[in-house]
Amino acid sequence: MDTVAAPDLTTARAQVLLAVADDALVSGHRSSHWTGVAPSLEEDLAFSTIAQDGINHADLWYQLLVASDDDVRAGVDALGLGREPEAYRHAILCERPPRDFAFTLARHWAFERFDAVRLDALSASSDPDVAAVATKLLHEIRYHLEHADHWFTRLSHAGDEPHARFGEALGEALPEALGLFEAVPDEAEAVDAGLFPTGHPGLRDRWLEVIEPVLRNADYGAVVPAAGATVPVSAAGGRQGRHSPDFTDDVWPEMTALYRSHPGARW
Amino acid sequence: MTTRTDVDAAAVRRAVEGVPDPELPPVTIGMLGMVHDVHVDADGEVTVELLPTFSGCPATDMIGQDVQAAVTQVPGVHTVTVRFRHSPPWTPDRIDAEGREQLRRFGIAPPGGPVVGAVEPEGRRSLPLALSGSTDPRPCPYCGSDDTVRDAPFGPTPCRDLRYCQACDQPFEAFRS
Repeated sequence: MDTVAAPDLTTARAQVLLAVADDALVSGHRSSHWTGVAPSLEEDLAFSTIAQDGINHADLWYQLLVASDDDVRAGVDALGLGREPEAYRHAILCERPPRDFAFTLARHWAFERFDAVRLDALSASSDPDVAAVATKLLHEIRYHLEHADHWFTRLSHAGDEPHARFGEALGEALPEALGLFEAVPDEAEAVDAGLFPTGHPGLRDRWLEVIEPVLRNADYGAVVPAAGATVPVSAAGGRQGRHSPDFTDDVWPEMTALYRSHPGARW
Repeated sequence: MTTRTDVDAAAVRRAVEGVPDPELPPVTIGMLGMVHDVHVDADGEVTVELLPTFSGCPATDMIGQDVQAAVTQVPGVHTVTVRFRHSPPWTPDRIDAEGREQLRRFGIAPPGGPVVGAVEPEGRRSLPLALSGSTDPRPCPYCGSDDTVRDAPFGPTPCRDLRYCQACDQPFEAFRS
């Protein structure tokens, strides 16, 4: 088994990068649910690719936390699969099960639109590695945004039942999406240092600027998060490592089972 | 005193650039524009810097190992270090003319010319953020017709989408932009 020095995860930089990486990893894991069972072959390919992208985007961010002279693969695996549940910094929205296709697409749209504003902010990071990875990924997620927006338009213009069911799903996903804008521990330090321009809480208005007109145009004004709205208690605390049973009893044990039962396995 | 080993730097670069993409064997990583820098020092230590293509590409690690193996074969080379870097970001406009032709022969429509909008205001690389099948048309790799449509934005790998030629009624794949 390879041994690598565990990176210091208590720094503001590490906490921010873990939030970005863990959102991608857990979203990718949940997207993979549709592989083989999506409603159409195109959607099977779409969510399988989005899952693969999410897990690989997480990989790139974890690489920035692994010292370059260490065994990078072992270091990345240790970060992605070797931490206890409370060390993960993703928002609780990301760990929610796919439920039905309406909720999957509502969560997907809310998350991708958030990911785009966060990557845009990170592309101006004072840390050149962070800026380079964010720039690269911003270019790649064009395909995710196109897919998410396409389904938003399609469902919201498809008549009464699709409009109503997608509206209900947005009503579930959007309040919980506010948890994406919680700050990680010591985040203010990373914002002050220019590593994470704007910071998670500051991105909320940018995200709302993008999604609010789209929601209102589609007659979904009722689900636009209000200015003072706070994330429901049941979906709060993810960035501090407080996760729901959807993660601690479902995603985490499954995602890490192989890593925990065969330490150092290579595949 | 160590004995100086003469390593043919051009041979090292040829070895690196000649490594095939494991998923698209007629196309080399040189044609794909993945080779950022090859450094050979007097002691036979070689450092190769590669630009990974799509972040979801499962072939990336294999390419690193293949480069390592290929450079090790060059006479006089003692150690090879392969690193991946993300700046500048790899974009499909780095694929050279031969790579585009090899992709087409493989049945995959290559991306068009330079990435429009890839400018660097104030030193920041900025890439286009909009995407549309209608603004990224691809001639059919089989019959050459421009009468093609994009069927699906996601294909069999993270680097390809699915198209259809209405002239020869043939589905085909396109390398993503």
